[in-house]
Amino acid sequence: MPHLTLEALEKRYADHTAVSSVSLAIRDGEFVSLLGPSGCGKTTILRMVAGLIAPTSGRISIDDRDVTQLPVNRRNIGLVFQSYALFPHMTVFENVAFGLRRQRVEGQALKERVDEALASVRLAGLGERYPRQLSGGQQQRVAVARSIAPRPAILLFDEPLSNLDAALRDEMQFELKRLQREVGITTLFVTHDQGEALSMSDRVCVMAHGVVQQFATPEEIYRRPATGFVASFIGRPNRLRGKLLQIGGDTQVELGQGLRLPVAGAPVLPAGSAVDVVLRQEDLRLAGPQTAGHPGRVMLRSFVGARVQYVVAMDGGPELIVEAPSSGPDAELAPGQGARVAIDPRHVYVNAVG
Amino acid sequence: MEPNTPRRAGLMLVSPLMLVLLLVFIAPVLMMLPLSLREYVAGTGISDRWTLVNYTQILTDDYYREVVVRTLQLGFGVTLICLLLGYPLAYYMARTTPRIRFALTMLVIFPMLLNLVVRSFGWIALLANRGLVNNLLIDLGLLERPIKLMFNLTGLLLGMSHIFLPFMVLMLVPTIQAIPRDVQAAAYTLSASRPRVFWSVTLPLSAPGILAGSILVFVLTISALVTPRMLGGPTYKVMATLIYDDFLQTLDWPSGAALSFTLTAMTLVIIGLSSRLAKRWGGQS
Repeated sequence: MPHLTLEALEKRYADHTAVSSVSLAIRDGEFVSLLGPSGCGKTTILRMVAGLIAPTSGRISIDDRDVTQLPVNRRNIGLVFQSYALFPHMTVFENVAFGLRRQRVEGQALKERVDEALASVRLAGLGERYPRQLSGGQQQRVAVARSIAPRPAILLFDEPLSNLDAALRDEMQFELKRLQREVGITTLFVTHDQGEALSMSDRVCVMAHGVVQQFATPEEIYRRPATGFVASFIGRPNRLRGKLLQIGGDTQVELGQGLRLPVAGAPVLPAGSAVDVVLRQEDLRLAGPQTAGHPGRVMLRSFVGARVQYVVAMDGGPELIVEAPSSGPDAELAPGQGARVAIDPRHVYVNAVG
Repeated sequence: MEPNTPRRAGLMLVSPLMLVLLLVFIAPVLMMLPLSLREYVAGTGISDRWTLVNYTQILTDDYYREVVVRTLQLGFGVTLICLLLGYPLAYYMARTTPRIRFALTMLVIFPMLLNLVVRSFGWIALLANRGLVNNLLIDLGLLERPIKLMFNLTGLLLGMSHIFLPFMVLMLVPTIQAIPRDVQAAAYTLSASRPRVFWSVTLPLSAPGILAGSILVFVLTISALVTPRMLGGPTYKVMATLIYDDFLQTLDWPSGAALSFTLTAMTLVIIGLSSRLAKRWGGQS
């Protein structure tokens, strides 16, 4: 049974549509990310689920109960804000106790529930501090503890990690996921960071321009992007301009003067159309000049730890960024050397110019 | 030329104002201090003898005590009225669009462009026994005889709340603007009702503005001279008008000086106490 359901949810403003007809069914205990660039409507959806923004049309239900018209303070949701939004005039203890006090939890029970919440984010013993006496990462944990303490039906995260530095962000990703597994609360997580979305979620909903592009598991999203937008947003893409050709029964795309790549699947556009082509860096295979593949020349090599990145100028075509594992056989190609790039037709993503 | 150190540059920057303050503020205050300890003999004037009677009479003399109590009542009353009237307006101004905020700010400031005497006189026209308010109430048949709205606390509270309201509003708006909306939203997501969010979150976070506005209005009220003089008349006195009379009418300078120092001391004590209170309330201790 779906736990959180959005049906044809829509938010229109005077001059634009922020969210258009979004329908999602999220299962009990599931961790779902809303992923997309800024302005794609993901935060608007989150705030509509929270009740902070009223939808123009559509329905939101939690546990089969229509909550669309229910005010924020009666929805029983927990929301972790990007800014943390802690109460600066209250101690950490009082911040976490705030929601519990609204549920009339008092005395010893209150103390136990607050301590439990603080322990679950590894902040036990910091209850008497004020938020300003804590680091950014600790404030983040307080915000999480505050939102889970009243045991909400749904937990919402609004880009909670974007104010943390990179090392802390990685650590918090694992912690949040572990915590969510432990408490088992259905979670909606808004982010513009594909790494966060892919690593933490059971399912990812990729959004663009207020429209759902794909709603699937991280593996599915990565391996089989449903639209060109998803292909260009996930992974590390080469974005190129090309022209669609129909040769016999095969569809090909022409890049530059001479480089023609076969495209798998049925053509989505008439031959001759100008198209955007997405080739992921990690989908391209690099090999020496004697092998099969499209010929080119290595222009630059850069070592980035686990991987080596090459800029390869294709003969008669554009430059492509190609990756190879730094422990593999293709890690030592020098600039100026000839090379061949193999491209699987299934990994050539073609979309209308937009 | 050698570049100035930041410290010396700072000293240079504050020195013009420091000199002015030393000459026209600190020096007269220091000269007043011995004056307040001199004996005043009716008919002959200030004698050479030292005495504490100018201070003790403020506590022992019924008349002085009444004036002190009245001054404090007026100060607290006007501050409270300005806070109650000003807070909702300031809240609206802080949360509305910049255009409406600008228009309202202009409206709030507008009365201050009018001379204080004219504004106080306007209140006389309204509040006098045969003034607009009484005439209207009598014409409507709600009153048989005019009620006394002037030369008493009611008149002073009305007039001075009107005159000092802009200061309260202007101090409150930026503080309320600085309260993040997300913090209020967070309280709502934690199942708090509207009144609960106001009492537990919005109001405590407004504490710095409430404190600044209240201190300003309180100090302006208890030291105001023109409005109490006009709306209080020659008999209904507050400390400021009494000091004025001591200096310029009865020429009892020692009493006036002692009263001035008492007023200043009271003000400092009240500011100190309220700051500590507001800090604890706003969680800034």
